[in-house]
Amino acid sequence: MTIHRVIRKVQRFEGWFGGGAALCLIAGLYVGLIGSPPDYYQGEVVRIMYIHVPLAHTSLLGYTVLAVGSLWYLWKRDPIVDNMCQAVAALSAVFTALALGTGMIWGKPTWDTWWTWDARLTSFTVLLLILIGYLMLRTFVDDPEKEARYGAILAIVGFVDLPIIHFSVEWWRTLHQPQSISMRGVSISSGLLVPLLLMSVGMSLLFSYMLMVRTQLLYLDRLLHAKKGRLLSQFHLSKSDS
Amino acid sequence: MTNFYIRWGGVCIVAIVLIVLTYNHYRDNLASLAPQQVKQEAPAGEVRVLGMVQGGTLETRAAGEATFSLLGESVSLPVHYEGPPPDNLRELKILVLIGTWTADTQVFEARDIGIVPNYGFIAGAYLLGLLPLALLLFAMTRRVSLLYEEIKASKLYEEE
Repeated sequence: MTIHRVIRKVQRFEGWFGGGAALCLIAGLYVGLIGSPPDYYQGEVVRIMYIHVPLAHTSLLGYTVLAVGSLWYLWKRDPIVDNMCQAVAALSAVFTALALGTGMIWGKPTWDTWWTWDARLTSFTVLLLILIGYLMLRTFVDDPEKEARYGAILAIVGFVDLPIIHFSVEWWRTLHQPQSISMRGVSISSGLLVPLLLMSVGMSLLFSYMLMVRTQLLYLDRLLHAKKGRLLSQFHLSKSDS
Repeated sequence: MTNFYIRWGGVCIVAIVLIVLTYNHYRDNLASLAPQQVKQEAPAGEVRVLGMVQGGTLETRAAGEATFSLLGESVSLPVHYEGPPPDNLRELKILVLIGTWTADTQVFEARDIGIVPNYGFIAGAYLLGLLPLALLLFAMTRRVSLLYEEIKASKLYEEE
């Protein structure tokens, strides 16, 4: 399959993801900020949940994609998958940092502190550090093949943090509230659940859309550099021949 | 690139509409009076008063009826509450009362009790959550468009 066919195919899906994300986020913001009732205990502050929880979920989803992609890369050595892994790591780092930031803003009026070394918060910070480490590793290694391989191994090892994040509120006595949506059922009212679901779907679609754009960006950047390099070497070869 | 800027113009318009709708929805809740203002100005009609329930003054008469003093800056306001059974009425808790000031009896007749709306935190969280994502997406999509143009212009967009 030629390069432009691949790019065109990606672009075709891109529009659906982007449009879907925009619709879900607009509806989620409207229902979350205007249509939904305040919580009986937290009051209006509960509305922070509609931005914080979807960001946190999406960053975990992003890391899962990174781990699966890394496994795939180690098996098949497909450079396009490596491209996607690099793109997903950067985006997951942004989503994780924003989830931590919005969580801190929620923590101040709810717990009266911006930060506490709670199990959920600490394990989530570790996730951010793993992602930053992954991105730094990819910057510092010169050989592209080694860079991709080391990155993939780090991403797979770092996956161990995800179950710790997920079960931290059950394994330890934490300040962070337990899960509201789990296999045991849903413990929040439908008035709060609808905007939460809309925003979660919207964030996941937005993440997918951003991932497509970023993968494309890295791909085009590398393509341009490779082609320019090839043209340059051809030019030098022709000059040395003459 | 024209389509690109039209698309992002649309995103900006939708964002502005959402901000205006949200602001209009909460505008009434943003303004509240302090207990001393209520005593000095004696406002006519329904007002919102922000203050702390003074310790040792809360007396619950029945479910949905209570009397207490609401403390401002060194001025306390006698309050008689009658309405839905309140979830948040506790001593030393900062609350917003909705009701009317009766000048004859010098008692604030509250019909509803709310907790302090932390709109600053909510606005901060949404700005922090959405603005960097929007800027990042804008920068990435713009870069992709520019790369396509560069590839087309340099005739590199050929089959290998």
